[in-house]
Amino acid sequence: MAFCIHLIPWIRRGSSQCNFKINLQLSFQCCIFTSVIEDTSPPTRHGYRPDFRFGNTLVEVKADLHSFRNFRAALLQLAYYLSDDTDDRGLLVLVNPRITEAALRNEWRLIERALHPAMVRRLTLAVRRQSGIIPIAGNLKPALSKRLLLDNVDRDARVQPNRAPHSSDAILLVLLNQWFLRKGPMTNQWLMRAVGCSYPTVAKALRRLQDVIQRFPDRRFQLWGFPTDEWNRIVANRERAHPTLHYADRSGQPRNAESLLRRASKSGRNDIAIGGVIAARHYHPDLDLRGTPRLDLTLHSPDGHADLSFIEGLDPALERVTDKEERATLAIHVLRRQTSLFVAAPKGLPWADPVATLLGLYDARLEAQAKEFLDHLVMGVG
Amino acid sequence: MSSLPARGVMQQVAAAIPMECRGEIIVVGSLAAAYHFFGSDPNAVITTKDVDAMLSPNALALRNAKIVAESLFEAGWTLREDAQWGKAGDRSTPEEELPILRLHPAGNTDWYLELAAAPPEGRAESKVIQRLSTNQGDFGLYSFRFLALAEEDPLRSEFGISYARPEMMALANLLHHPQIGPEVVRGSTDKRSNKDLGRALALAWLSTERDRDALETWHPRWRTALERRFPKEWRDLALRAGKGLRALLDDKHKLDLDQATRLCNLSLLRGRGLGAEALRATGRRLLVEALAPLESAARTMPGA
Repeated sequence: MAFCIHLIPWIRRGSSQCNFKINLQLSFQCCIFTSVIEDTSPPTRHGYRPDFRFGNTLVEVKADLHSFRNFRAALLQLAYYLSDDTDDRGLLVLVNPRITEAALRNEWRLIERALHPAMVRRLTLAVRRQSGIIPIAGNLKPALSKRLLLDNVDRDARVQPNRAPHSSDAILLVLLNQWFLRKGPMTNQWLMRAVGCSYPTVAKALRRLQDVIQRFPDRRFQLWGFPTDEWNRIVANRERAHPTLHYADRSGQPRNAESLLRRASKSGRNDIAIGGVIAARHYHPDLDLRGTPRLDLTLHSPDGHADLSFIEGLDPALERVTDKEERATLAIHVLRRQTSLFVAAPKGLPWADPVATLLGLYDARLEAQAKEFLDHLVMGVG
Repeated sequence: MSSLPARGVMQQVAAAIPMECRGEIIVVGSLAAAYHFFGSDPNAVITTKDVDAMLSPNALALRNAKIVAESLFEAGWTLREDAQWGKAGDRSTPEEELPILRLHPAGNTDWYLELAAAPPEGRAESKVIQRLSTNQGDFGLYSFRFLALAEEDPLRSEFGISYARPEMMALANLLHHPQIGPEVVRGSTDKRSNKDLGRALALAWLSTERDRDALETWHPRWRTALERRFPKEWRDLALRAGKGLRALLDDKHKLDLDQATRLCNLSLLRGRGLGAEALRATGRRLLVEALAPLESAARTMPGA
C-alpha cells in the first residue's frame, strides 16, 4: 500500500496567486506499478540494456519489426543479458510486427532447439496489436499482460519515435505555432491541455522563454519575437522534439509522393496530416523547390500508440530504415502532444501545423527551403 | 538458352501458323511476357530456348494442332533433337510416352516452338495428355489445368496471333505451386516452383515498372477469370493462390527466393541486376494489392 500525493494546480480567475489542492489518495497498485515500470532502469551489460524492468522480468520492446533477423537479434541480446543473472526472466514484446503470430510460433520452435532449455524457460515472447497482448511463447503472467496493455509499452521502448519528447520542447513548438498563425494570446490552461503537461512544467518553460514572452494583464501570454537560440536548439535536437520514422522503397520502383499521398488520403485515418514539402507549399506557395522528394506525414499519437498499419496500404514495398544516408520516400513524424493542431483542408487529409511542417523540411535536409519557409512564417507575423 | 528478339520471334511464329488457325492459338510463357513488355523495342531480347503456344479452345485443339504441325513440317520445321523424345511415336506408343511436339524453325536451332492445348473443361488433373496424330507420327499434346486462365481475354499481337495477359500467367503460376516443391526443371537443379513463382514476381515487377498501381487492377480480372473457368471451386482457388508465394517470401525459404531471383535475372529481368530484396518487396505488393483483395472476395459469402 502506498500514499500518493498529487498537487493539482488551481488558479483563481483574475487572481495573481496560484494555489494547490492537495489530493491525498490511498492507492495499492497504481503507484506501485508506475514506480516499477518507470523508475527502474536496468543497468547496461554487453553494451545493451532492456527497456524496463517489471518485478523480476526484464522487458524489451521492439516496434514495427519486420524481419526474423532483427527478431533473432533482439531475442539473443535479451538472452545474453539474462545469462548474467540467474533470477531474472526476459520478455520480448513485439509491437505491431509485420511477422505473423503463426510464423513467430514456428520460429520459437527453432529457438527451443537452439538455446539451452534453462534459458528458454526464462524467456517469454508476446505480440502487441490493437486487439491487445497476444502471448506467443513462454509464461506471460496476466498481471504483466494487463499492465503492458495499460502502460502503452511502445512509449517505453527505446525506439525514439515512440518516446514522448520533452514537454519544454513541445511547449515551445505550440507557442511558435500559435504565433505564426496569429492565433493571439493563450492561457496556461489552454497550453497545458494542448501539450498534455502540468502547470509547473508550463510555468518552468515560460520562465525559460521569458525574454520572448509577452504577458497580458489577464494572465494570457504569447510570443512577441522569434526565439532564435531555443529554435536552433530544437532543430539541432529535432529527433527528440519531432521524432521521425523513415521508410524506403525496397522494390527498385518507388512510388512518388503524390501517389503515396493519394493512398494515404483513402486510408480513412483521422490521426494523420500532410507535412513536409507538400504542406510547406500549401503555407508558402512560392517555396523555391522543384518536385517533391518524399511524402511527409504527421501521425498524432498522444497516447504513444503509434498505429503504423496504414503504411502497408501506402506501399507494401516500403521498409523502415534507420540509416540516415538512405533515401526515404516516406517520413512519418510522430506527434505526441495532446492536441494535434492539424489544420483542416477542404477535402482529404488535414495539414500538419506550420512548425511541424518546418521541422519536416529540416529532417529532409532541405535547409535552404526550411530557412526560406521560416523567413516566410516570421515575416508573416512581423 | 538463346537471346531472341521478342518481336521478331513473335512475327516469325505468327507467319508460320496457317491463317485458318491464327485466331485459335495463344502464345504463353516468356515470349508472351517479353513481347508484352518489350515488344515495342526492336532491339529487346528474351533469353529462352522454348516458345510456348497453346491451341484454344480445347474442343478444336487436336484438329488445329494437326493442321499447324503438318504445315510447319511442310515448311521445313524440324523436331528438336532429344535422346529420349526426339522421335515421333506411332499408334502403339502409350500416350504418356509420346514426345511433345517441339519444332525448330527451318535452319535455326536457337529456339523451338512447343505446342500445347487448352485444358479440357471440368477436368481436375493438373496435367492432361492427348494423342496428336500427324503425317509425321504421333505426339503428345499436353494441357496444364491452370493454363485455362491464359484463355481469359488474351491480348492481340500486331501480327494477328494472341498472347496471354501477364496477370493471367502470373495467376496460373501461383495456383500451380501452392508450396515450394522438390520437382526440378529438367536438365537443371533449379526447383520448378522457384522458377514459376519467380516468374509471377517478374511479371508483377515488370507491370509495376510501367504503372506503379498496376497490381491493383489484377484482382478484379483474376476473380472474373476464376469464376468463369472454375465456377465451382473459384473460392478455394482464390484462397490458396497466395500460399506458394507466401512460402517463397518466408525467411525459411531464403535460398529458394535467391534461386528464383537468379532465374528471373537470367530471363525476364535480365540486365536489371535486381536482388532478392527487390523481389521480396514486389512479392509484398503482390500479396497486399492483388492477392489479399481476391482472398477477401472469396471469403465474402454470396448474398452477404
